[in-house]
Formats: sequence, structure tokens, C-alpha cells
Amino acid sequence: MARVAVEAGKIEPVSMPLSLRQPFRDAWFELAALLGGVILWEVLGWSLAMPWLPPFSKILEALVQFVQSGVILGNVATSLEGLVIGFTISLFVGLFVGALMGRYRRVEKALDVYVNALLISPAMIFAPIFFAIFGLSGAVRIAVIVMYSLFVIIMNTATAIRNVDPALVEMASSFGANERQIFLRVLLPASLPLVFAGIRLGMGRAVKGMINAEMLIAMVGLGALAQRYGSQFEAAKVFAIALVVLIIALVGNWLVQAVENRLTRWAD
Amino acid sequence: MIQIRGLSKEFLGRDGADTGVLAIDSLNFEVRDNEFLTVIGPSGCGKTTLLRIIAGLIPFDEGEVQIDDVPVTGPGADRAVVFQNFALLPWADVLTNVAFGLEIRGASKSECEATAMRLVKLVGLEGFERRLPKELSGGMQQRVGLARALAVNPQILLMDEPFGALDEQTRRLLQEQLLRIWDQERKTVMFITHSMEEAVLLGDRVMLMTPRPGRVKEIIDVPLKRPRGQETEKSTTFVEIKEYLWENLRSMQVLDQRGEA
Repeated sequence: MARVAVEAGKIEPVSMPLSLRQPFRDAWFELAALLGGVILWEVLGWSLAMPWLPPFSKILEALVQFVQSGVILGNVATSLEGLVIGFTISLFVGLFVGALMGRYRRVEKALDVYVNALLISPAMIFAPIFFAIFGLSGAVRIAVIVMYSLFVIIMNTATAIRNVDPALVEMASSFGANERQIFLRVLLPASLPLVFAGIRLGMGRAVKGMINAEMLIAMVGLGALAQRYGSQFEAAKVFAIALVVLIIALVGNWLVQAVENRLTRWAD
Repeated sequence: MIQIRGLSKEFLGRDGADTGVLAIDSLNFEVRDNEFLTVIGPSGCGKTTLLRIIAGLIPFDEGEVQIDDVPVTGPGADRAVVFQNFALLPWADVLTNVAFGLEIRGASKSECEATAMRLVKLVGLEGFERRLPKELSGGMQQRVGLARALAVNPQILLMDEPFGALDEQTRRLLQEQLLRIWDQERKTVMFITHSMEEAVLLGDRVMLMTPRPGRVKEIIDVPLKRPRGQETEKSTTFVEIKEYLWENLRSMQVLDQRGEA
């Protein structure tokens, strides 16, 4: 079927209703899959009757108990405090260092090997060093969270800046833009979609770092709670805490996504 | 007036060793005030390099590049570039893109807006001020590119195969529009192309370049009266110059399949 592309507008898709319905169908499908998983869990939990796999309803019960007794609230607050501080540090340092690495070859050459090494090395290895530096304080926990989340943000930001279309930078230069203008008016906005991909990964890793630090180092917050019930073989309670952690991770991800959507609407 | 004397430019090999490629070899020519000079030549003749040197975007090795007797040392307020691939900011709407150059040069917000509005109107994009580049056709995107260049009111317009990425119909419409605008806002234009029709239709003179290394073969006068349009292309002069260009380009191995664009 031949259509003439008109200067003024794009060609309208013919199958409009179908393409409109598609996202809704996907959402229902996802919900159904989730519900199916829960039902399967419940059935397996009852029929297997294994201590390590309590039925889903038991987990929810444990969660409700946690909330009612108030034990969860204080621990969530403690965990979130570490997460927010650690992630914020990672975010600012990561964006700054990443931007410099992306823009300046020399900086990249100098730091690349370190960033790569620290990105793949297990952060917990450095715990003793953090103890030596910060002593027995909450700073150790935060340092672990930063170790977990910083380097993926640096890497993604550097890649994002490096991948900005050089034609845009040349265009800005042709109008006499200085380095600051090139950074703020071209590189920063152009790199945002990829930068946010890194921030989202960083958020996920920060939550992991938070729990690991709490379980293995600081013995506070949700991690300590999970550790305690784990050693008592209270599977339902451990799963309930895992559920809370999952919710924190999802909300964090959702917050990043919300900011991202506002800033990068043009890239859809 | 743009004056080029003994201009040479060599691109270094990958390892910076002396395996360099001579892109431009001792060029001499002038672009007169308010002249429309088109530059044509096969791939590898250094025409884009030449334009970027005049724009002040890349350095050169030997010779002189002067604009009204002032040596070019970098980009300047007297010049603006229209790029082959438009180079529009994908996150910014039409108005913001058109105002970009002005904003970089520190114009006030109200001045940016007023000028951008005027130019959007001039290139016929009224009603599209708030659209994003991706919502526009290629032809409309390049009109934004043209408006952005004109917005800073340059004395010289440097156009690097601006219509090369467009389809034939759109290209023709934009050529006509460019000629109309050039008639209203007299500028010195240096226009790179590899379309022979385009070179003859637009130019007061056509500069023919040879490849590897890039040299000026000849500068040909185009004594066709303006305003030019569809009728122009039927005239014998037009056809003769076009044929002449083709004979020359053919002999320069235009058939060696190495597309530059």
C-alpha cells in the first residue's frame, strides 16, 4: 500500500485500537502471572509442608504481626537511613566522577582500571578496612552501601557522556559554546537516559549493600532482623522481611523511574 | 569576504606517526561578500574538512584563512554552520533549537524568543514551535537547522551538504526556499554539495575540487539570472555547466564507489 509522506505530519498507524489496547493487556498479563505465582506458592507450601517453604499466607501473617508489634517500623527507618545517605553519596560522586571520565580521555585513562576493578570486586572484602577507618560506627554500613552502588553509576555516566553524538558537541562549538555550556546544555541532557539506567542499577545494588552490611557487619535494621530469625529457622518471618526489602527496592526504583520519566520524556 | 591562501591540512595516522593523509593541499580562493559559492567534488576531496576549517572547528597546518582580513582562530559570531545531519537537540522543541545559538552567545531570554519566532516564521514552521525534532520530517528538521544558523545573524553561512540527507522532492522545495531567504537576507554562503544540479542551481560560482589531496580544479561562473527556479534548469547554460561538471567529475573516478556521505 503506497502512502505519500506529507511534510507536515507523520503517517498515522492504521491499527490504532489494537496498539492502544496492548499495554493494558500486558498489565493484566503481568498481574495474572504474579497471582499465579502466589497461588502456586500457597499450594506448594501446604502440600509439601516443608519448614523452609511456608505457605504465602503465613508470610503475610508474619508481616502483619511485624507491623502490629511495631518491630518493623524502627528497623525499616534504620535501614532506610543508611540507604538514603549511602545512595546519595554514590549518586553525587558517581555523576561527578563519571562525567569527568566520560568527557576527558586523560581522566578516563587514569581511573578506568580502578573503577573496573572496584566494580567487580566483592564490596564486603573491604569491610575490615572500613572498620579500621571508621571504627565501630554507622559509617561502615554506609561505606559498604557506597561500595556497592558507586561504581556502576560512574561507569554508566562515563559511557553515557562518551556516547553523546559528537555532531551535537560540534554544533554547540560552532556557535562558540564554552566547555561549561557544552556540558550543561548538550552533554548533560543528551546523556540523561543512559545515566538514569546507571542510577537505577545503582539503586538496586545499594539495597543489596544495605542488607549485606546489616547482616554481616552492623547487626542493625532489617538485615539484623533477618539474621536473627534466620538463625531461629523462622522461615515465614525471614520471607516477610525479604518482602519488605523487596518493597523498598521497588519503591526506590519507582522513585528513580519517576524522576527519569519527567526528565527524559523526549527519548521515548 | 573569505580569503584562503595556501591552505593545507593533513590528518595524522592513527598512531600519530607520519602515515598521515593530506586532506587539503595548498588551496587558494576567495568567497566574495554576499556571494553564493557552491563547492563540489568527489569523496575525499576535503570539502567538508575545508568547511570545518573555515568554521573554526578544526585547526589547519599551513596557509591563511581570513575573514575580512582577520585570521580565523576559532568559531566566531560572523559565521554559522548548517549541518548535514541537522544536529538538532532531540530534547528541545523547535523554538528552543532555533534559539540555541543566540542563547549560547548570551542573548536575553526575550531577544532569543522574539528572534526565534521571527525565524520560525521565515522558514515556514509556524505552528510547530513546540514540536520536538523527532516529530518533524527531515525537511522540516533541516529548516530548523537553517533557522538556527540565521538566528545569530551571521555574515557568512557555511552549509555542509545540508540537503544531502533529504529525498528529492523535499530537497527541491528547500533549495527554492533557501534561494528566497538568501534573496531577502543577503549573506555570504559557502555551500558544499555533491549534486551537480544543486551546485549550478544555487551558486553564483561553482568551485570544483579534486580528491586526494583536495585541490581546487577550477572555479566556474554561473551566469544564470536570478531569481532562479524550475525554468532555470531547462536553460542551455544550466545544462552545459552541469554537463561540464559531470565530465570533470567522471574523470576523477567518481565511480570508485567510496561514498563519503
